[in-house]
Amino acid sequence: MSVSYSGVTKSFGGRLVLDDISDIVNEGELTALLGPSGSGKSTLLRIIAGLTPLDSGRVSLAGRDVTNTPARDRHIGFCFQDYAPFRHLSLRENVAYGLKVQHVARAQRREQVDELLRLVRLEEFADQYPHQLSGGQRQRMALARALAIKPDVLLLDEPFAALDAQVRAELRSWVRTLQQEVGITTILVTHDQVEAMEIADRLVILNSGRIEQAGRPSFVYDHPATDFVASFLGPITSFGGISYRPHELEIVALGDGAESATVSEVIRLGFEVRVVLAGDDGTSTWVQLTHDQAKHLNPGVGQRYGIRVRSSKARKDAPLSSNVDAPR
Amino acid sequence: MTRPSIVLRSLVIFYVGALLALPLGFVFQQALSHGWNQFWFALHDHAMDLAIELSLKVVILAVPLNVLFGVGVSMWIVRHPSPLSRFIDVIIDIPLAISPIIVGLILELAYAQNGWFGSVFAATGLRIMFSYPAIVLASVFVSLPLVSRQVIPLLREVGDHQEQTAATLGAKPSRIFFTITMRSIAWAAAYGVTLTLARVLGEYGAVLIVSGNIALITQTLTLNIGANFESFNAYQGFVGALLLALVSVIVLVFIGVARHRLERKRHVSFV
Repeated sequence: MSVSYSGVTKSFGGRLVLDDISDIVNEGELTALLGPSGSGKSTLLRIIAGLTPLDSGRVSLAGRDVTNTPARDRHIGFCFQDYAPFRHLSLRENVAYGLKVQHVARAQRREQVDELLRLVRLEEFADQYPHQLSGGQRQRMALARALAIKPDVLLLDEPFAALDAQVRAELRSWVRTLQQEVGITTILVTHDQVEAMEIADRLVILNSGRIEQAGRPSFVYDHPATDFVASFLGPITSFGGISYRPHELEIVALGDGAESATVSEVIRLGFEVRVVLAGDDGTSTWVQLTHDQAKHLNPGVGQRYGIRVRSSKARKDAPLSSNVDAPR
Repeated sequence: MTRPSIVLRSLVIFYVGALLALPLGFVFQQALSHGWNQFWFALHDHAMDLAIELSLKVVILAVPLNVLFGVGVSMWIVRHPSPLSRFIDVIIDIPLAISPIIVGLILELAYAQNGWFGSVFAATGLRIMFSYPAIVLASVFVSLPLVSRQVIPLLREVGDHQEQTAATLGAKPSRIFFTITMRSIAWAAAYGVTLTLARVLGEYGAVLIVSGNIALITQTLTLNIGANFESFNAYQGFVGALLLALVSVIVLVFIGVARHRLERKRHVSFV
């Protein structure tokens, strides 16, 4: 089911948190609301769920206006960052909660809960209580509980933020697979751009209550509409007064029409090697090399090289900063 | 064992002994000093039995009232904060801060036949002062914050994410309250109930003033004990005191259990 909102405005105690936000989320898509903390992304998610009232604007599900519909009638699954397990209920009872509310018959309820527990791979923990589960298991329980009512839309607030790195990476791809299997329209809030780029069909980048840019991850990465988006989605460096992604530049032998510069630092991060160079005009630029490129070139501090824009990149005639003046 | 800890232990034992164990032991000793037959006879003292009956009647009404109010006001203060609810949060402790005698006087001022509300009730033929309603009123007043002071911190700690999740799953507010909220605060409320029970049974000053302390009619067990001592019927007073002390011990055990459960719940919730 598609989700759309228009003119959404919200302030808390005189502070404007969302400023006239509008967007459409297509059916079956996974959209990531990406932005730094305080950008208003979680508030937007809560407004879509009906958990926070908005000051002005409209929210629609599949074209039906739900702005004044209470959360319990919106049929939207919502997962909190802390998973909000019902502490006094077993895992099975947690997942069954929504079905009980809908007065699903006991036998049928049990069947559906078993199926959901299989789906989130928690069958063997069915009779355990939330405090006996790990963070990742609690997160999967929260997902199963939300999916139990077969919601039209799934909303996830920072679903992986409270997990350690390894579990997070696993769950991320698992959630993506699950979302595609179930085919449910999903909106996910995150402040982690790598997570958003990996998991989402579409990014909506928020900054201080406004949408900076929305679009496919690869497109937004290559064609950021603003400086904020460019620097938020990945590293940028300045070369000849223009912003570039550090991997769009290359280091070559002196001459050959390249700007000459002196290596001031080499940072080796495994596969990635960062070479920081000081230009003759005093500006600092850094260039990202692969491990193999660095091995081949073997740059050392104090050595002099030329910097130029990689010829294979279309970026050469469309540098990042050419978009800086685009409307916000 | 280190020296300071020996000193500290001795001090605590001495303090508790002198303040608690010795007087309590004295009550037991005195109440049973005339043998079991006399004790059995004293238990069937007409005035005391009526006083016990009245005390129980007061408890039966005052405790549920306090639970309803305590849980309700806690929900309001924590889940719907407003300047007014914050103000209530502060003034709700007043009954603990002012002397019960003053509470009694305030209530008498307000509810006496010629008082502010008293005249209104008097017009309908309902008499508040020096009767059962006045005693309940005074009891509820002095124990006002006992439930909410237990429930408020727990409500804050649990947060509202569980309740909001239940709402997105289609649950109505009443269902959310009984299946989620009440389940989280049940032990805190139970602890508040035992505190209220102990306070209501033991209340003297406020009840003394508003009840008029009329033997056989508006005399609670505590008042009856006091009256017996004043009329040089100390033995009967000790028997009443023993009963009250026994009830307190039972209540204390309940408090211990409730607190233990509560702490375990809190501990568990943060694993």
